[in-house]
Amino acid sequence: MDQESVKILADAIVTAGKAIGAGLCMGLGAIGPGVGEGHVGGHAMDAIARQPELTNVIVTRMLLADAIAETTGIYSLLITFLILFAL
Amino acid sequence: MERKKMSNKAKIQLIIFLLVYIAVGVLNVKLGGLPPTPAEALKNVANRWILGPSSGPWYTRINPMTIIMSWIVIGLIIWFARSVNKDYSIIPSKKQSLAESLMEFVYDIVQSSIPDERYARITFKLAMTLFIYIAVSNLIGGFIPGISVDVSKTILENGEVVRKVKFILFSDTWFPPTADLNTNLTYAVMVFIISQYFGIRVKGIKAWLKGFLEPVPILLPMNIIGELAKPVSHSLRLFGNITGGGILVLTLSYFVKYMFLPPFLWGYFGIFSGLIQAFVFSTLTIAYISSQVA
Repeated sequence: MDQESVKILADAIVTAGKAIGAGLCMGLGAIGPGVGEGHVGGHAMDAIARQPELTNVIVTRMLLADAIAETTGIYSLLITFLILFAL
Repeated sequence: MERKKMSNKAKIQLIIFLLVYIAVGVLNVKLGGLPPTPAEALKNVANRWILGPSSGPWYTRINPMTIIMSWIVIGLIIWFARSVNKDYSIIPSKKQSLAESLMEFVYDIVQSSIPDERYARITFKLAMTLFIYIAVSNLIGGFIPGISVDVSKTILENGEVVRKVKFILFSDTWFPPTADLNTNLTYAVMVFIISQYFGIRVKGIKAWLKGFLEPVPILLPMNIIGELAKPVSHSLRLFGNITGGGILVLTLSYFVKYMFLPPFLWGYFGIFSGLIQAFVFSTLTIAYISSQVA
């Protein structure tokens, strides 16, 4: 193989690695927040079914807890952007 | 309940607004110069417009978009505050009751987590300021189609970075200042320093230092890292949400060929997610300070 095709092959491997890495990062990183927010939402529904008069308070707290459970998903989104655009 | 009719003035305003929106959308499709591929549209999404020498220490370079938009947000807030203050009365007007109910809502949260009145007042001021600023700056892209700055970055052979700046009308939302990590990190570090200062003042320096050895001295590095991780997660949460939302809006508005203007798509990321993130940021401010004070 000559110099030129080695370069092209190297570029192709780098692009493929970036794509695979970004996809894995976002896909695996979305599992945790999904499960966590599901728990939060489910328990909030339980609580509302038991005490419907507290709906407003529970929904506010639920959104707060959701946003905090989401953090790791946001981190993986950031890392995905870093892999795709900055690396 | 009696149905309230729209006044004629409001109708005319709404019609003019929609007509301008449609005209801008059509112009965007005709003249916007659609990028041929999605990769072309997203090529420069991570680049920022930076002024200043390309080498040298970090404080010689500035990000002009952040500064311009920060001043616009500050101007909007001051204008609103002045207009509330002008006709301040016992029977509140619409604006005044909005401001009052917002403050009461946050003050209740502060009071329930910090019982000491002296610290509660100053924490309330801090958290409320952060909430208003972040909420307005997240909302700012939502209503008016904005100017986006397209920066192409090339690195020359000798390591010099050349940035070409191009302004594009109406194809993106306005740049929210919270989409820049510098803004968020400044606030998070400010909250961190204030909370540690309060901790020292309430407990005294000996008890504050001893707090790092709890529950057993071997956990000292864990405690230090736990404290230092607070500003990092505090700032990155807001930054990731807003920046990720901005990039998704850009992608989606490419997929609909800029016919639906980005402000419609900004509805979720700016208005819903943005308000929640502003609320989370100020609530975490209260929580961090109360964990040191109480």
